[in-house]
Amino acid sequence: MTENSSPGPRPLLHMDGIRKTFGPVVALDGVDLTVGRNEVHGLLGGNGAGKTTLMNVLYGLYRADEGIVTLDGQEVVIRDPRDAISHGIGMVHQNFLQVDTYSVTENIVLGTELPSWPSMDLKGQAERIAELSTRFGLSVDPLATVADLSVGLRQRVEILKALYRGAKVLVLDEPTTNLTPQEVDSLFGSLRAIVDEGMSVVFITHKIRETMAVCDTLTVMRDGRRVGTVARRGTTPTELAGLMVGDDAMVRRVTEVVTAGMAAPVGRGPTVDAYAAGDAPERVVVSGLLAHNDHGVPAADVSLSVRGGEIVGIAGVAGNGQVELAEALAGVRPTAAGSMSLDGRDLAGSPTATWLDGGVAYVPEDRHRDGILPSESIVENLVLGAQRGRRFRSGPFLDWRRARQHAESSIRAFSIKAPSASTPAAQLSGGNIQRIILARAFSHEPGFLILHNPTRGLDIPSTQFVYDRTRAAAASGTAVLLISEDLDELTNLCDRILVVYSGRIVGERRRGEYDQYELGHLMAGLEESA
Amino acid sequence: MTTTTAPVQTPPRTETRAGRGNALARQVLAYVVAVLMAFVVAGIIIAALGHNPFDAYRAIVTTSFKSGFGLVETVHKWVPLVLLALAFTIPLAAGKYNIGGEGQLLVGATASAAAGILLADLPIYVLLPLVLVCGVLAGAVFAWVAAWLMDRFGINEILSTVLLNFVSFGIVDYVASEVWSDPAAGHPTTIPIGEGGLLPLVGRPPMHLGVLLAVLVAAAVVVVMRRSVPGFELRAVGANARAAQVHGIRVGRVAVGSLVVGGALAGLAGAIEVAGVHGKLIEGMQSNYLLLGIIIGLIARGNALAVPFVAFGIAVLEVGSSAMQRSAGVPSEMVLIVEALILLFLLFSDVVGARLRRSSR
Repeated sequence: MTENSSPGPRPLLHMDGIRKTFGPVVALDGVDLTVGRNEVHGLLGGNGAGKTTLMNVLYGLYRADEGIVTLDGQEVVIRDPRDAISHGIGMVHQNFLQVDTYSVTENIVLGTELPSWPSMDLKGQAERIAELSTRFGLSVDPLATVADLSVGLRQRVEILKALYRGAKVLVLDEPTTNLTPQEVDSLFGSLRAIVDEGMSVVFITHKIRETMAVCDTLTVMRDGRRVGTVARRGTTPTELAGLMVGDDAMVRRVTEVVTAGMAAPVGRGPTVDAYAAGDAPERVVVSGLLAHNDHGVPAADVSLSVRGGEIVGIAGVAGNGQVELAEALAGVRPTAAGSMSLDGRDLAGSPTATWLDGGVAYVPEDRHRDGILPSESIVENLVLGAQRGRRFRSGPFLDWRRARQHAESSIRAFSIKAPSASTPAAQLSGGNIQRIILARAFSHEPGFLILHNPTRGLDIPSTQFVYDRTRAAAASGTAVLLISEDLDELTNLCDRILVVYSGRIVGERRRGEYDQYELGHLMAGLEESA
Repeated sequence: MTTTTAPVQTPPRTETRAGRGNALARQVLAYVVAVLMAFVVAGIIIAALGHNPFDAYRAIVTTSFKSGFGLVETVHKWVPLVLLALAFTIPLAAGKYNIGGEGQLLVGATASAAAGILLADLPIYVLLPLVLVCGVLAGAVFAWVAAWLMDRFGINEILSTVLLNFVSFGIVDYVASEVWSDPAAGHPTTIPIGEGGLLPLVGRPPMHLGVLLAVLVAAAVVVVMRRSVPGFELRAVGANARAAQVHGIRVGRVAVGSLVVGGALAGLAGAIEVAGVHGKLIEGMQSNYLLLGIIIGLIARGNALAVPFVAFGIAVLEVGSSAMQRSAGVPSEMVLIVEALILLFLLFSDVVGARLRRSSR
C-alpha cells in the first residue's frame, strides 16, 4: 500500500479506491482518503469535483461501485445512514433536515431510542445536549423551537445531533455557506474543541482560505479524483490552487476565484484601478421600494442607486428579503410601494415584459426553477424573453434560422458545452445552464443587470467566467447589482456593498473600507457602531 | 485488489449514443410495438369470446379502403376527431387540461343550428360563413367560462370543463326538444337548417368541404405552434411557467387563450357536424369524440403534427368497427378496447425504455 500521508499510527478512517458512476458519468474514480485521529481534514475542490459524493458514499447515501471503507482498522460495509451512524459517522449536509415546529432537543433525539419510551420525558436528553453544547462551544438553547433559530444556530443543532449520536468522524459539507464571518470563527473554534476530544472532522469546502484557517491535513479533489494530500503546514495557497485547477494556464485565469478573500489577492480585476464610476450618472434609482413576500421577509423601504459602470453588492444572510428585492427590481414581483427607474424611465407597476424591454436583465438565484425551459432546446431558451422583440421576429412568426445562428454564436462566445444548439437545456450541467442564462441576459444589452447568487454551485472556470462577464458588463456602462451570500465574492467584485437585514438596508461600505467582520456584524442585524 | 462493497452490477455499456436518428427510430418502434401488442391482446380477447380475430381485423383494417364510401366515411369521422384532439392538445401544451371538448362541440353545434334555422332563407355565401362562425364563437365562449373561472378564482379547469359538458347536454336537450323540435324525428332533434347553411359536397360518393377546412385548420395549428410568437409563449408556459413569467410572458393570459382557442376548434367541429353531416342538431351527436380526442392527443404525445395522422388511424378503426360487428359478430366496442390498449402499451413503453436505459448504465 502506498500511503503518502499517515499522521497517526493507525488512521481513524480509510477509504480505498472508491469508484462511483452515475450512468455514463464517473463521479468518483478510485478515490483514496485517509483521515487521521484528532484532525480536521479538509476536502478541497471546486464544485463537481466529487467531494460531496465521496462523503455521501461514506454516509451510506450512495453505494460505491468499488472500494473499501476501513474504520479503526476494520473493514465496514455501510448500506444506509443508519449503518453509518452506528459506526460513528455523522454528517451535516448543506440543507438541514429539521422539523421546524420541534424544539432543539426533540430534533436531536428524533430517530434515536428513548430510554423513557413511551413517555416523552426529555429532561435527561436536554441536559446531555446542554452539556455537549457548552463543551464544544456550540451554545444553543435546547428548549428553543427550531423555527425561531438563525441558520448559524440551526447548523449547531445539526452538529450536536451528530455528536449526540456518538460520532467519531464528523463530516461537514460546505458548512460556512450561510454564516457571517463571526459565526465562521466560532464554528472553527468548535471544530478544534471537537478534535481535541478525540474525534476527527472532515471539512468539505471550495475555499482555500478556510482550509488554511482550520485544517490540519488537506485532500484536494478534481474531476472525481484525488489529486493530492498535503499537510497544512507544508503547503501554500498557490500550491493548493494549482492542485484544485490542474493546468497552469488555467490557474492564472481563475486565480481570482480560488484565492477569493485571501489576505493578499494574487490577481485583481482590471476595473479596480480603472474604476471611475463615481462621476458616472445614476442609471438606476430605487426609492422607498416595498415588495411583499411569500414566506421570507418582505423587502421594505429599500432605496438605492446604481451608476453606469458600477457594481453594487447586496450582502446578507439568506432569507433577509433578497429574493423579494431581486424579483421586485427585475419586475417579476409586483411592488407594493415605491418607485424604480432606469435611465429616468419609471418602471414600477408595469408588466414584466416592459421591464425587459426597458433594459432590465435578471439572472435568478434558482436557475432551474426560474431560468430555463428544461424540455426546450438551447435555441428556444435563448429566445425566451426576446420573442416579441424585433431581433427574432418577422411578422407574427419567429425567425428560427436567425435564432439558431444566434444560439450557435452564443455557444461559442459563452463556451457552452453542449452537443448541439438543439440539445434540451435539461441535459446540460449547472455551469452550462448558467452560461445560457448569462448569454440571454447579455444579449438584451441590459442597462441594469441583476445577478442573484450567480456562482452558486458552479465549477471554478464557470465562476471565473461569471466574474469576467460581470466586469465586462460594468465596463461597457451597465449598472450591475450583485446579490450574493458570499462575502468573498462581494468584496472581490463590488465597488460598493449594501447590507440587508430583515428586508432593510442597514449599512453601506465602499471599496477600500471593506472589513468582513464589520460586514458580518451588520448582516447579523447588530446596530452599526459608528 | 478491490472487492465490491455492494452487489452492484458492472456497467455493460456497449451501446453508443448515435444521435437523433436513433432516437426517432426508437420512438417509431415504440408506436409499432404498441399497436401490434394492442392487436395481439385484443385478438386474444376476441378469440376468448369465441370469434375469429383474423376476420375481425380484416374487417377493421380494410373497410376504409375497400370502397369510396368507406374512405369518405372515414374522412368525415376524421374531422371531429382531429379537431377535438387539437382542442385537447393546444391547452395541454400550456399545461392545461381541456376535458370539455364535447360540451364546446355541442354548444358550437347548437349555435350553428340556431343560425341556420333562424336565418334559413339567406343565400349560401352569407349563411354558411355565419353558421360556421357562430359555432366557433360559441365554442370559444363556452371554454372561456371555464378559463375565466380558472384565471379569476383559481378553479381547476379539469373540473369546470367536465362539469360544463353537462350544462351543454341540457342546452341541446332544451333546444332540440323544446325550441325547434322536429316532432317527426322520434328523438330530440331540431328541424333542418336552411339550404344555404349546408357545406357543399364534392366528388362521388360526396364528401363535404368541412374536411378541407379541418385540413387547413390542422396545418395552421402546426405552423402557429412551431413558428409563431404565441405558439412559442404557449410552449414556454407549458415547459416552465415560472421561468416564462420571469421572462415577461403573461402566464395567466396564455393559459386562458389556449383554452379559448381549444374551445373554438371544438365549436368548429360542432358547426361542421351540423353543416356537413346532419344538417340539424341531434341529441347525442357528440358520440364519444371527447374520449377519442383525448386518446388521440395522448397517443400523439401532444405533438400537433402527429395529431392528424393518429386521428386518421383512429378514424379507420372506428369506421371498421361497425363492419367488424356485421361480418365477424364482434361487438364494435372492441375497437375502443384496442385504442385504449394502444395508449396503455405506449405509456408502458416509456417505463420500459426508461428502465432499459437505466440498467444499461
